[in-house]
Amino acid sequence: MTGLLLLTLRELRARKIILGLFGVATLVWIVLALALRLDVIEGSLAGARLFGEEMSGDSDLTDANGQPVLGNSLLETFVFGAEMFAAGAAYWVGILLALFATGGLISSMLESGQVDLLLAKPLSRAKILAGRLLGVAAVMLSLLTYLLGMVWLVMSVKTGVWNPQFLLAIGAVFAMFMVLYSLITLTSVLTGSTPLSLILTFGLLFATLILAIGPLREQITQPGRSIVVALYNVLPKFVDVGAYIVPQLVSGQAVAAWSPLVSSLAFGILAYSGSFWLFNRKDF
Amino acid sequence: MPTPAISTTGLSKTYSTAFGKSPVHALRPLDLTVAEGEIFGLLGPNGAGKTTLVKLLLGIVHPTEGNADLFGTSIRKSEARASVGFLPENHRFPEFLTGRQTLDLYARMSGTTDKERAMRSDELLERVRLSGATDRRVKTYSKGMMQRLGIAQALMSNPRLVFLDEPTDGVDPVGRREIRDLLLELKGEGVTLFLNSHLLSEIERVCTRVAILKEGRMVREGTVEELTAEDRVWRLRCTAIPANTLTEHVFPIEGSQNGALADYRMLAVDRTALNASLDHLRSMGVEIEAVEPLRQSLEDLFIDVVGESEKEEVSDGKSN
Repeated sequence: MTGLLLLTLRELRARKIILGLFGVATLVWIVLALALRLDVIEGSLAGARLFGEEMSGDSDLTDANGQPVLGNSLLETFVFGAEMFAAGAAYWVGILLALFATGGLISSMLESGQVDLLLAKPLSRAKILAGRLLGVAAVMLSLLTYLLGMVWLVMSVKTGVWNPQFLLAIGAVFAMFMVLYSLITLTSVLTGSTPLSLILTFGLLFATLILAIGPLREQITQPGRSIVVALYNVLPKFVDVGAYIVPQLVSGQAVAAWSPLVSSLAFGILAYSGSFWLFNRKDF
Repeated sequence: MPTPAISTTGLSKTYSTAFGKSPVHALRPLDLTVAEGEIFGLLGPNGAGKTTLVKLLLGIVHPTEGNADLFGTSIRKSEARASVGFLPENHRFPEFLTGRQTLDLYARMSGTTDKERAMRSDELLERVRLSGATDRRVKTYSKGMMQRLGIAQALMSNPRLVFLDEPTDGVDPVGRREIRDLLLELKGEGVTLFLNSHLLSEIERVCTRVAILKEGRMVREGTVEELTAEDRVWRLRCTAIPANTLTEHVFPIEGSQNGALADYRMLAVDRTALNASLDHLRSMGVEIEAVEPLRQSLEDLFIDVVGESEKEEVSDGKSN
């Protein structure tokens, strides 16, 4: 399986988009390091400047539920707020870019002339698909660890506020990326089409944005309402995880409800199981 | 009895189709045995089921019915491919890899050690005349170079059985001869080769045994000698045969008159019939200089067999 993992890593390196993402991540933490100027006096924030602009000293940061972000001091509040912003950016923008960058990997492996070479090796089909997915996961985890790890390091070194909870965002963003990648995998195995797999996945994201609007669900009449509620429960809860769980994790608050993440993971497990089953049965 | 390299029992593949169309029988139930060390050639027109058979044996396609083993291990198990090399038709190596990286990565998937890979890749790249292009990206390779790299890839894990689907496709005549020599060298090393090729002359020169597939059915199988000598045609050099003795079984070969001797083509179903005909000619005063079996080329046989089964189908169609 090492061979497959290496092949995937080389392919990702050959796709310049991944290098671009690492470049953007580097740019983010370097700019952050250069732009952030804090005046910390005896452990308290006396003043903060970003790009030379004085930032407000009031602690009015709140999470998505409107609850004030926890922090023992203005300095901590500022750090938590900045870290929440970074985690949010990685979640809402990073996942979309990463899906776009890695979306074609499964289909390219299944192209005629390439898949024959792999299937003729003394490897089970499960190992072949797992090797590919492992390569994608390894690169994505490295990218997230690099981006968020460096942001965390810069913030911590510059402010002296070490918030290890922030690193949990890596796990949450990675988990949701893999959940969405399960749909790309399933569609690619089923159809071999990269465009279709991306369209469906981005379509699913759009659908979850709509389904997450609670009042909308309430306004729909039966039987449409039952269908919408069922869809909301079955599909990954991209909005709920990004708007509630990630900020709560990052700011050190107790997570109010894990169910959006759990049901999203269940969707991912189901889609991956379907992909493996199909890949095992398919003739190439 | 030694375990055969390949054995199939009733192996078949039927593709179901959508919208009520009749299913496609890519391979009808096939019983086939290929002994270890043989060079086995598979012939057939396009769509005969040759590639389907290879894909079935390598687990790329699942059988509808029947079984097959490679060295005694069921093709349904991935271990069956542990000692197997494969060059697919129209293979596509990732373009971003160099020649050496390609060999290294694909051999790694076959479970070879670092040391073996380092040793074999240099040796094989030399053997397929690619040692000057080892560190060039595959996307810069010509069709012939890609084909030679594909053959090297198939041999990287030191396999006991190698499947080659159109190995000389896109290769120039010199390269083709080199590949043929390489196949013969492999045969000398005891490697079993399963060859799919449209180039019948190549199959004829290299293979020890041949099968002809047509529309998913094996219509002929045997050694090249058996198949090409099947019609029992003999060349007879002798003194002139009296005109009244010439029949549709004995007739002169145009322009073969050489002094008192001439060449004739003689048909005899077996050795007994041949000797009876010769005795009859001698009793007519004909003096025989030489008798040798005339073999048709594999190409002649192929065209005959494919044409024959087409005729049978037509007559079957009429009788139905």
